[in-house]
Amino acid sequence: MSASAAVETESQPSIDVDSDVVIETRNLGKIYRDFWGRKKVAALKSLDIEVKKGEIFGLLGPNGSGKSTTIKLIQGLLFPTSGRAFVFGKDARDVTKNERIGYLPEESYLYKFLNAEETLDFYARLFDMPAGERKERSDRLIRMVGLHQARRRQLREYSKGMTRRIGLAQALVNEPDLLILDEPTTGMDPIGSREMKDLIIKLRDEGKTILLCSHQLADVQDVCDRVAILHQGELRELGRVDSLLKVRDVTEVHATGISDETKEKIAELIRNDGGQVVSMDNPTTTMEELFLDIVQDNRPGSRPTAN
Amino acid sequence: MRIEKDQMLSYFEWLIFNFGLLQGAIVAVALSLLGFVVCYLVSMARYGPSEAFFHVTRVIYELLARDLPGTSIRRVYALARLAFQEAIRRRVLVIMAVFIAVLLFAGWFLDPAADNIAQLYISFVMTGTSYLILLLGLFLSCFSIPADMKSKTIQTITTKPVRSTEIVLGRIFGFTAVGTVLLVSMGVLSYVFVIRGIEHRHESGDIASDGMSGETSYDASHAHSFEMSGDEGTTDEQKGHRHLVTRTGDGQYVIGSPEGLLNARIPVYGRLAFTDRGGNPGIGLNVGYEDEYQKYIEGTSLMSAIWTFSNVQPSRFGGGDTLPIEMSLQAFRTLKGDIVTGVQGAIILKHTNGRVESERIPFIVKEFSVDQKEIPRKLSGSRDGEPVELDIFDDIVDEDGKLEIHVRCTDPGQYLGMSAADLYLRAGDSTFGWNMFKGFLGIWMQMFLIICLGVMFSTFLSGPVAMVATMTCLVLGFFGSLAFDVATGDTPGGGPIESLIRIPTQQGAMVDLDLGNPVLEKTIKIVDNGIMYTLFSVFKAIPSFGQFNTSDYVAYGFDIFSGLVARHLTMTIAYFILTSVIAYFFLKTREIAAA
Repeated sequence: MSASAAVETESQPSIDVDSDVVIETRNLGKIYRDFWGRKKVAALKSLDIEVKKGEIFGLLGPNGSGKSTTIKLIQGLLFPTSGRAFVFGKDARDVTKNERIGYLPEESYLYKFLNAEETLDFYARLFDMPAGERKERSDRLIRMVGLHQARRRQLREYSKGMTRRIGLAQALVNEPDLLILDEPTTGMDPIGSREMKDLIIKLRDEGKTILLCSHQLADVQDVCDRVAILHQGELRELGRVDSLLKVRDVTEVHATGISDETKEKIAELIRNDGGQVVSMDNPTTTMEELFLDIVQDNRPGSRPTAN
Repeated sequence: MRIEKDQMLSYFEWLIFNFGLLQGAIVAVALSLLGFVVCYLVSMARYGPSEAFFHVTRVIYELLARDLPGTSIRRVYALARLAFQEAIRRRVLVIMAVFIAVLLFAGWFLDPAADNIAQLYISFVMTGTSYLILLLGLFLSCFSIPADMKSKTIQTITTKPVRSTEIVLGRIFGFTAVGTVLLVSMGVLSYVFVIRGIEHRHESGDIASDGMSGETSYDASHAHSFEMSGDEGTTDEQKGHRHLVTRTGDGQYVIGSPEGLLNARIPVYGRLAFTDRGGNPGIGLNVGYEDEYQKYIEGTSLMSAIWTFSNVQPSRFGGGDTLPIEMSLQAFRTLKGDIVTGVQGAIILKHTNGRVESERIPFIVKEFSVDQKEIPRKLSGSRDGEPVELDIFDDIVDEDGKLEIHVRCTDPGQYLGMSAADLYLRAGDSTFGWNMFKGFLGIWMQMFLIICLGVMFSTFLSGPVAMVATMTCLVLGFFGSLAFDVATGDTPGGGPIESLIRIPTQQGAMVDLDLGNPVLEKTIKIVDNGIMYTLFSVFKAIPSFGQFNTSDYVAYGFDIFSGLVARHLTMTIAYFILTSVIAYFFLKTREIAAA
């Protein structure tokens, strides 16, 4: 199925906040070539998507499906072989668009010889911020991502989760309107992962637009308003998460305080009505919920640091 | 040390005739056109002819309309600071430890009995510093951007509103700051090392019975004799220096610190002309394989070398009690003659109208050293052939401040050789420290150029390849004079292909190539010319690092004149702009995430 043939499966308007388009790709394609210009692989084939203001848009797909390529094309880190990408109406290669973008790369590509404060100060300088503002923002962000006890340690001493946190902080240093997150929960423990997801939703509620790509299906399901599913460089599905996941011919009932007899009556009613009971059971919680119930008071920021 | 002819040009002469309006402009235009064509061809291979034109012009437009005006000093500073921190945390200060270690053990290898110890020490510290600093610049600049590409940290930077101009400038300035800090520290240490190295004291030795002369003790591989006049006196000159001697109240002789070792002579150069054997204007003689501008005059003939100096005022020469002249002439002997005495010559000071001239001031040529003469202001001479007493500044210097100095060889059958820089008036001294600073500024400019080249190459090559490319420029810039002579055709034997044929066929370089086939010979010459012209353009574009090395001026005690420093600064800025623009284009058109 080519991207142009992809059908929006949603029935309602895609987003109810605003219909402004933040990211738009038109026929976007990328072919990687070797040194001699010979075609190596078509990483992305004519992608058409629109990300609208105030939504969380997920790019979903297995490894090598073209998610990261799309994100890099949108940011001008790669040049498209065909088509164009626009962010805030500007061409993807225009650096001025970056004033309003925050980017958390797949792995936090930060300078290991800087500490948390220096890192945020450095990236804030790149936004031409005066000293007072830099100081205020980096203090606030370090506190927000829970690294205030490790603020003077060089990043080389950080764990993977801590590196993700400082990576997120640098992505937020300019208070961006658009946040691009590449595998945001990679390397994070369940608490961190949940915090990250909560934060993403909170940022969306503040009116920011979020584009995230992930192969952690649970993450995408938890936070995304809309998703595009990519496979082998092609867009396979695009639409609202709730409508995509809705199994239209199965009905689910949640109830408490009913006896086995009542359950049997309900089953009987369904059968009499011509339906079929597929299963009737007590639901299980998720491992994530279970884990968070057990460790809810032990946040990583509260752990004393080595120094 | 030789002062080359083009080094004597004033800044504006050089700017107009040797660099700015002609060479610089031509090189800039040619490189821009060449750059445009190359970019277009590369782009065409990728996007096709019309798209390619759009791509290339868009990059030029973006540089001029967006990236250059949008370049922010704060961002450049942030990136420069990052480069600085990176270098420091990668322990570049180890270089400093190496330098200190070298200085500590230098005493084992530097000969304390050398004739000119100051020269030895200065050459040593300046050469050592420049090698260390240039290596540092090379390693810092070539590996940083490729390392950032590899670790992908550059992706976090380019996704901020950072222009390619800022990345290039940030790197260049950051590494330059690191190098500057190290260079300043090395400079201070070098200065202390030289000052302490030459310092030595003598005790008074044998004193004559009248107490008016004596000898010093033998220290630092030499001893002096001294003469007193009253309670003060000076020693004779040994190993390029003298000491002041004072007699204290209790009759002790105190010998002071060495003086005259650390000079920064300010020479006033003149224009040199020759007369032929008949005394008419002509050119000097060529006695064989010599630099083209070194000429000889014949002994006991009317041949003379005439220097014309401008703006000769008493105020320029310490009040004008004497006119200090320094010269280092060459002798060419056609017969053994009086080998002990040396070849003799004479100096005559003349008014430009030729009617007033001083008596002959004889001298014996001191080859390979600087012969200092103090000509007293009042001296005998003649006006229209009548003997009179003359005052140099009032009678011989003309109303425009011009003075002619004629040099003749008075030894029959022998020749004196000279070039314009070999005789000059010494207009006082600059301070040694300031001169050394200017010498270190030369090293700084070389370092800056290396960093510019390294950063430029590293925007499109991997670290090791960028280093090899920069090193190639460095080697060609330092030692490329032979290659340059081949490229200009100054070296006999033709171009590369012709030379390659001459070697196995054993044809001499001075005869025309003879292969028995005129068409083939013509074709070889045409191809050779093409290669030579390409080589010439390439060599012209590479900064000649050797030129920036002014450590000889410091070591030999000549003030590095400000025109030369200004010239080097101009070239440095020109290369900085050129390399930055090239680096910008490569970085701008590179897919950052594709590495």
